[in-house]
Amino acid sequence: MILQALAFYVFAAITVASAAMVVTSRNPVYSVLFLILAFFNAAALFLLIGAEFIAMILVIVYVGAVAVLFLFVVMMLDINLTELREGFLEYFPVGALIGAVLFAELLLGVGIIGSGSTTVAALNAHGPHVAAIDNTRAIGRVLYTQYFYLFQVAGLVLLVAMIGAIVLTLRSRPGVRRQRAGEQINRTKEQAISVVKVPTRGGV
Amino acid sequence: MFADIHTFFTTNWLGIAILILLQCLAVTVPLLLAVAYMTYADRKIWASIQLRRGPNVVGPFGLLQPMADGLKLVLKETIIPSSANGILFVIAPMIAFMTALVAWAVVPFDNGWVIADINVGILYLFAISSLGVYGIIIAGWASNSKYAFLGALRSAAQMVSYEVSIGFVLVTVLLCVGSLNLSKVVLAQSGWFWNWFWLPLLPMFVIFFISALAETNRTPFDLPMSEAELVAGFHTEYSAMTFGLFFLGEYANMILLSALGAVLFLGGWHSPIPYAPFTLVPGVIWFALKIAFLLFIFSWTKGTLPRYRYDQLMRLGWKVFLPVSLAWVVLTAAVLQFGGWLPKP
Amino acid sequence: MIVGLENWALARPELFLAAATALLLIYGVVRGEIATAFVSVATAVALLVTAALLFLPYREGTAFASLFIADRLTATMKALVLVGSAVAILMSRAYFEQAKAWRFEYPLVVALATLGMMLMISANDLMALYVGLELQSLALYVIAAFQRDSVRSTEAGVKYFVLGSVASGMLLFGSSLIYGFCGGTAFVQISGALADGRSAEIGVIIGLVFVVAGLAFKVSAVPFHMWTPDVYEGAPTPVTALFAVAPKIAAMSLLVSVLMGPFKPLFAQWQQIIVVASVFSMALGAFAALRQQNIKRLMAYSSIGNVGYVLLGVASGTEKGIQAVVFYLAIYMVMTLGVFATILMMKRRNIMVEEVSDLAGLARSQPMMAFGMLIFMFSLAGIPPLAGFWGKLYIFMAAVEAKLFVPAGLGVLASVVASYYYLRIVKVMYFDEPAEAIDRPSFGVNRVVALVAAFLIAIFSLVPQPLSLIAEAAAKGLFQ
Repeated sequence: MILQALAFYVFAAITVASAAMVVTSRNPVYSVLFLILAFFNAAALFLLIGAEFIAMILVIVYVGAVAVLFLFVVMMLDINLTELREGFLEYFPVGALIGAVLFAELLLGVGIIGSGSTTVAALNAHGPHVAAIDNTRAIGRVLYTQYFYLFQVAGLVLLVAMIGAIVLTLRSRPGVRRQRAGEQINRTKEQAISVVKVPTRGGV
Repeated sequence: MFADIHTFFTTNWLGIAILILLQCLAVTVPLLLAVAYMTYADRKIWASIQLRRGPNVVGPFGLLQPMADGLKLVLKETIIPSSANGILFVIAPMIAFMTALVAWAVVPFDNGWVIADINVGILYLFAISSLGVYGIIIAGWASNSKYAFLGALRSAAQMVSYEVSIGFVLVTVLLCVGSLNLSKVVLAQSGWFWNWFWLPLLPMFVIFFISALAETNRTPFDLPMSEAELVAGFHTEYSAMTFGLFFLGEYANMILLSALGAVLFLGGWHSPIPYAPFTLVPGVIWFALKIAFLLFIFSWTKGTLPRYRYDQLMRLGWKVFLPVSLAWVVLTAAVLQFGGWLPKP
Repeated sequence: MIVGLENWALARPELFLAAATALLLIYGVVRGEIATAFVSVATAVALLVTAALLFLPYREGTAFASLFIADRLTATMKALVLVGSAVAILMSRAYFEQAKAWRFEYPLVVALATLGMMLMISANDLMALYVGLELQSLALYVIAAFQRDSVRSTEAGVKYFVLGSVASGMLLFGSSLIYGFCGGTAFVQISGALADGRSAEIGVIIGLVFVVAGLAFKVSAVPFHMWTPDVYEGAPTPVTALFAVAPKIAAMSLLVSVLMGPFKPLFAQWQQIIVVASVFSMALGAFAALRQQNIKRLMAYSSIGNVGYVLLGVASGTEKGIQAVVFYLAIYMVMTLGVFATILMMKRRNIMVEEVSDLAGLARSQPMMAFGMLIFMFSLAGIPPLAGFWGKLYIFMAAVEAKLFVPAGLGVLASVVASYYYLRIVKVMYFDEPAEAIDRPSFGVNRVVALVAAFLIAIFSLVPQPLSLIAEAAAKGLFQ
């Protein structure tokens, strides 16, 4: 168990440190890289509490797809770093205040939940027993039954996101030559080749 | 005495650590050897396709050529361009190489021969293989060179695109298996070779293989390093062992995806005919043979096909593979549900 | 019975709308831009059919593992939202055709937004609330930026998106606190946990504040109104018309069902918040609009003020109050659609104009249009015997009955101030030196909408019973 505690503190410390670096580092590319590190360590923390499915999905979705695109965009942006830093001190007190308030509220929540009041029991009563079945199965069981409705609506949200992305960015420019695989394949020898009898010294 | 050793390695934390280390070595060392000889095999196969001899000077039949190449890379000077971002420039090849190695932790070589027999093996592999792109994109950015950056951008877009269809391929397989554990995937394919998933899921196998080509940046999808346009793409600025790590990582990744293909579609360690004398051959040999077969197709493709254009690549990924694999997921699920073939939980 | 699908037939209107949208989307994608006119009309028809399905036959209860609820209040609110969206779609053609942004995705995204509104009206769980809200918001961000070649439109979209995301974040943060303290996300679980005497816990109240703040953003109540004027002004006018109507009604209904449902035991706590938000909204709506020159911006402040009145009804927390809310929202919808239909007809030499000064002398060039606008403005100002007067009267009566004397008094004062800028428009139209004449509006949907709206508002005093009966029935649904 000492090993587990040690692992927890290492991962947690790296998560917090890299989260801090996300907001303080001077270069946005570094920020994204630290964000990735933070995701990674958060996934490791999930593994430690036995939520292997969420850990893997976190890596696949956030690290493997979202952050790549993020990095992709940030690398291509031409950001003036000094300009970006200018407002920092000005807004820092406000940000710190909000952060402190949120943190205090979180502590409040943890304090109540951790004190062994009825809420913990109430929460555990709903979920399946973690030990009894592996958690991919556990998530699958509620996701497609009890939370079927939410799952479907989430699908609709994604549909809107897709339509929105297309409608706001896709432009059909005139005069663009597109590849039409069907036409290419259907082309026959007769259409493609014409046999010309070239007269000597005449050229084509 | 023997019992003492057994308890030391199973209960003492030092023993466990040593055991894990040994297991890792037992996977890594043969893997690196396989990478070395994969380069040799590659060159021999292309040579045969092009009616040449290929490497034949160093050692008998040129068999020591990979060693000589490796030695050359190790002994050369590592040059870090003065305008490059030093730390990231060095980290990038390490990421590329490490991700190719750590993925092997969950690959089952034979029944029970696996370092970490975890419940979400498929997801682990998928997660790790999606990390490989970071090595490339960081390399491209840190090099501070146009060619490298363009190569990195191409690579990032390409790998993200083809991961989508690989994801759906994995979903069809795990629908048929009912588990995300790779050993269970193999066990679900026992019996004759037509019981392996390559036949019932043939379109998915084809899509998987082509996507694997794109994931590993191999011809005909080697746009990130297409020498005619981008010098050498994302590793233009790399030299010596930093380049060597990319090279090793690329081949290790190829072998990994071949292994994944063997596990998912070619029955892993199973022999093609479930009777002696075939079953007497150790499973790990069958597994290696299947990997070698897929790797041969990798080389064969590289020797014969021209490179895709970038828009063709994207069209294939998003407009052909994505709809087809999505439709196949639905079809598979429907057939399993209504045919009563759903795997028992 | 499959778990999770119980009573799915209760959601038939939603299922119909989702299916119709999906089919029309496929049709539009296959046919391309030429399908726009058909898709647009078909979507509007689908919305109206959905509204009919709500009552034919009418059913109530909970569905989908109690994540979804249908009762009289939700049915009424959904009907309002559906009609508002359908009319807004029909009104948009001329504008978008002129802006060269007439594309088949527009009505479909509006339909999906409407679906989101229906789902949030029917939410019976914090998670269902959130997904419905996000579906609606995401679709609205898209259509705010729909005129993508216009800088103002894209700016409106981005502003709305950024601020809306912050609001969603607050809502989620509040929800997670509530979940932590109540041990569940279902409304029944929350009210159960709050009823058993642990209601004074500070964490729940903080959570409630965050949830209310998130919802207040969606209804653009002060102090979460900052986005409203910019978005209203920047977004394409038909989109502004939609924004002023459907999402407001939906979010208000959600606010009512959240506050009167799971948080009923915390009435004393949330009443203060709502009263403050209400008073400040009424005041800001009245004073900030005084100096506006742009009609869309003016209507933004007007809508903030109107939200203030509605919130006063919510704050009373009585059946009478909720009844007044439904009543007011219905009248507000008709007035707003009428005003925007008129704004959409304001063209000079075939170019859209939207300044108050452009209306100068309208009474002489287009007397019909000016008269319609006069009716809407009088009604918005609350001048009897037009419909707007009755709406405000009901709200103030409910507030007084709930002993909210000071807020009600302030509300009356605010509506006196507000009537100044409504009447200023009338003055500009009737008494100012004529500007260059506005084009004669062509016969179209907008003209019909404006005429019908003006007619309904004008005759409302003669036949007020149907609406008050509907409002009464709807409010009963909540208090059964």
